[in-house]
Amino acid sequence: MALSGMRGLSVFISDIRNCQNKEQERLRVDKELGNVRTRFKNEKGLTPYEKKKYVWKMLYIYMLGYDVDFGHMEAVSLISAPKYPEKQVGYIVTSCLLNENHDFLRLAINTVRNDIIGRNETFQCLALTMVGNIGGREFAESLAPDVQKLLISSSCRPLVRKKAALCLLRLYRKNPDVVNVDGWSDRMAQLLDERDLGVLTSSMSLLVALVSNNHDAYWSCLPKCVKILERLARNQDVPQEYTYYGIPTPWLQVKTMRALQYFPTIEDPNTRRSLFEVLQRILMGTDVVKNVNKNNASHAVLFEALALVMHLDAEKEMMSQCVALLGKFIAVREPNIRYLGLENMTRMLMVSDVQDIIKRHQAQIITSLKDPDISIRRRALDLLYGMCDVSNAKDIVEELLQYLSSADFAMREELSLKAAILAEKFAPDLSWYVDVILQLIDKAGDFVSDDIWFRVVQFVTNNEDLQPYAAAKAREYLDKPAIHETMVKVSAYLLGEYSHLLARRPGCSPKEIFGIIHEKLPTVSTSTVPILLSTYAKILMHTQPSDPELQNQIWAIFSKYESCIDVEIQQRAVEYFALSRKGAALMDILAEMPKFPERQSSLLKKAEDAEVDTAEQSAIKLRAQQQTSNALVVTDQRPANGTPHVGQLGLVMVPSSANADHNLEDQGLAQENGTLSKVDPQSPSPSADLLGDLLGPLAIEGPPGAAAPTEQHAIPASEGDPNPADALALAPVDEQTNSVQPIGNIAERFNALCLKDSGVLYEDPNIQIGIKAEWRAHHGRLVLFLGNKNTSSLASVQALILPPSHLKMELSLVPETIPPRAQVQCPLEVMNLRPSRDVAVLDFSYKFGTSSVNVKLRLPAVLNKFLHPIAVTAEEFFPQWRSLSGPPLKLQEVVRGVRPMLLLEMANLFNSLRLMVCPGLVSSYFFSHGPLSST
Amino acid sequence: MIRAVIVMNTQGKPRLTKFYDYMPPEKQQELIRRVFGVLCSRAENVSNFVEADSVFGPDTRLVYKHYATLYFVFIFDSSENELAMLDLIQVLVETLDKCFKNVCELDIVFNYSKLHTILDEIIFGGQVLETSSAEVMKAVEEISRLETASNTITLVPKSISGWRS
Repeated sequence: MALSGMRGLSVFISDIRNCQNKEQERLRVDKELGNVRTRFKNEKGLTPYEKKKYVWKMLYIYMLGYDVDFGHMEAVSLISAPKYPEKQVGYIVTSCLLNENHDFLRLAINTVRNDIIGRNETFQCLALTMVGNIGGREFAESLAPDVQKLLISSSCRPLVRKKAALCLLRLYRKNPDVVNVDGWSDRMAQLLDERDLGVLTSSMSLLVALVSNNHDAYWSCLPKCVKILERLARNQDVPQEYTYYGIPTPWLQVKTMRALQYFPTIEDPNTRRSLFEVLQRILMGTDVVKNVNKNNASHAVLFEALALVMHLDAEKEMMSQCVALLGKFIAVREPNIRYLGLENMTRMLMVSDVQDIIKRHQAQIITSLKDPDISIRRRALDLLYGMCDVSNAKDIVEELLQYLSSADFAMREELSLKAAILAEKFAPDLSWYVDVILQLIDKAGDFVSDDIWFRVVQFVTNNEDLQPYAAAKAREYLDKPAIHETMVKVSAYLLGEYSHLLARRPGCSPKEIFGIIHEKLPTVSTSTVPILLSTYAKILMHTQPSDPELQNQIWAIFSKYESCIDVEIQQRAVEYFALSRKGAALMDILAEMPKFPERQSSLLKKAEDAEVDTAEQSAIKLRAQQQTSNALVVTDQRPANGTPHVGQLGLVMVPSSANADHNLEDQGLAQENGTLSKVDPQSPSPSADLLGDLLGPLAIEGPPGAAAPTEQHAIPASEGDPNPADALALAPVDEQTNSVQPIGNIAERFNALCLKDSGVLYEDPNIQIGIKAEWRAHHGRLVLFLGNKNTSSLASVQALILPPSHLKMELSLVPETIPPRAQVQCPLEVMNLRPSRDVAVLDFSYKFGTSSVNVKLRLPAVLNKFLHPIAVTAEEFFPQWRSLSGPPLKLQEVVRGVRPMLLLEMANLFNSLRLMVCPGLVSSYFFSHGPLSST
Repeated sequence: MIRAVIVMNTQGKPRLTKFYDYMPPEKQQELIRRVFGVLCSRAENVSNFVEADSVFGPDTRLVYKHYATLYFVFIFDSSENELAMLDLIQVLVETLDKCFKNVCELDIVFNYSKLHTILDEIIFGGQVLETSSAEVMKAVEEISRLETASNTITLVPKSISGWRS
């Protein structure tokens, strides 16, 4: 080959090839590098040919993975060599060895520019290639106009122009300002009239980059793209060398369809019709043939056409046609097409209306889960995960579980996480959910994170119906000869809490339960021992009056661990031992765990976080979320249990046992549980403080402090409300004729909440309603905390929102009963549609014993919550102020009869009203303002 | 955009690497090793696509083709069509085939510099430059001609300068 013709390089390469091992190779490389280095030091003696040879050697060494930290200057200096071969190697090596921030590169800008504007086309090509590969911002600024000139020049050869197009694309990426939108959009459209397909391909890549940033400016290119597609699809004017396995330049077809996907819609009916004709032709005219390359090319075009059809939101008929095609693809022999078929079907899920058609292919997709190719198995898993909903969750999750045992390790973690998420999201009933998770732990315990088994415990704790079932299941798993440690944990926990529910079944006496759990103790790690100790304590508690034999056995274990080196184990052993000597009191102390307050599932959250937020995936996510709420309705319609389901099935993290808080990150919750485990839930007279403790961590503040009266006065004044009674009239708080008297002043509480975001809204001897709010622009997210202060349930709980016309409010389901001393959280979403002073009212009622209580409470979703303070200077403020012309935009009011306030106090007040105080406009006056967010 | 092109043999030795986003050499080597680790465990008659997110970060795809003793690997992002990339590998290989008449690994090893020239005519700064192997050949032949031509020219001035002194 004439091209290389460098003997020295060939010799070096064969030397390297002959090296027996890495060590020899390194020695040879070091020798060569030393040689090159000395030769470069004495640069004068080097001919350009030698330089070129050494630089190639450096590049070869670099590819082998050795750092070449010298000779960069020599490589760059070759660029300015007058002869082609040296210049060429200079350019090639520079673009391989250097990056765009390299200092030497700056030195070359002038030479590069001279090559670009010079007459020599081969030099132009070299320079463009280098800039296109590593050109940075500085190159963009100094070279963009020249490159543009080359691209649109009619005298340049296509060879140069196509490189100029891609070079410009690089420069545009480095600095978008170098392409002037106004001037360039017409040029771009003209470029699309190009006949040469090489130039057209490059120009299309440039267009894709430009429209992806700003499709508005390149609107005129849209019909031209459709024209190009028509030309290619009809195979008009396509030279032989651009026909690849009988298909007219698939790359250009693909790129053109890609460009079209960046335009939101196609408005012109004629263009749209022509495009759909072309697409229809592609969809119908593609068959799977024998030649692999032809298949790949034709399907490259076909899959891009599918993507475009999805983007254009075609009629349902065409969509179903696409799904049918995809259904065909996922069953063909060609693995690439199977792979893309599955991937595109996953994408198809976001198109409404076709999910049902996709579901028809479920069996085939499940088959793909057993494909020999892991890439295809992954796609199948993604698709199954995406298409899962309430209707097919059972089938899909069971299929995943079955597959889990044979799946390769690389996939097991993902698989078990997905199965757990689907089971939680779409569980048709909770016992099924428990089954799934226990199977999951059994089959892939290593991949089941703590989150997953915590969730099961939460569900079981909060659903009484489920408890005997879960305990029985846990007992069954313990009979297996070898079980995963996670299974030991979860079954020990469940049996500790609920094994007494099984007492009459065979093999379930406390003694037997203790025996079978204790068998596992020698095999478990220190993190599990504390859970087992708690279980023993619970078993003791449930067997009062105690069986002396069992008691002695357990006591022996406790005293054995009293000197354990692990603090957690030691502490539990000591405490349980001491507590269990207190006899009947143990029953109160180690009572069943109370229900967990509901929160978003950390598992679902993890799943959401894990999903990359690309448009298509978020669309899928959106769908999934909508379906979740359906699933919830299913689970919530269980009147027998008063479990508060709020929002999602979400609960909190679980403490690993009664007073084992060591693995709780949530300090507040830990405290809560700590308190609970020491308090007798049956205590006849709960003190108010106790409840405060209970609710404490949930951020409910006490009654408003001394500042309240001031604030109360301030509100009407600052809102400029001439008649404060207006607002009050809506919420006739005084109409209440309840025997139960509220604690504290309702109006005062409301006023205080107008200024802050959390606090108590209402309290009486039976219930406390707390509120916590977050405001963002026109959205508000409130949570109502309904806390039952009593030792018996509150029944017929009803909460109705009476929203004024300007607010859109949505309250999640409020459970009908609130269990004794439980707290229910009810999220409430608020959206402000337009400014108004009207106030939303919460109509709340419940029954306690014989008395029924009904209160109407104003909700602090008031005007000022939607304000957004902005800081302005005097220069900005006054022109704006003057440009406003009187009411309703401009109001000036002097308020009289207000108790004088300190300046600082007043500023604080304004701040809590979300108004910005701009100091220094007029001395001793305040100007407050803020734009109001509404949709 | 195409992020990288890797040609390596079935023992994992790189024969040609080109990264279109700058990457320090250690990182390049690590990636090459990891890609090889994935590829060598793949059976025949499976798809040409491999999940590459764990190796190259999110939004990356990997397409490869296995010819005799060589793997041709393209790494690119979601703005490219997978099958079109596979076609492009085919174009690269067909061009090499035309250039070397039944290309084999040795041709690639010893004509390292020519390989760079060919690749630069097909992929430019991570974008598809030319898809017609005939056009690529034309460009490459032109460059070869230039090289031989100037090689003869380099000889002439040398002799002349020798004659002058």
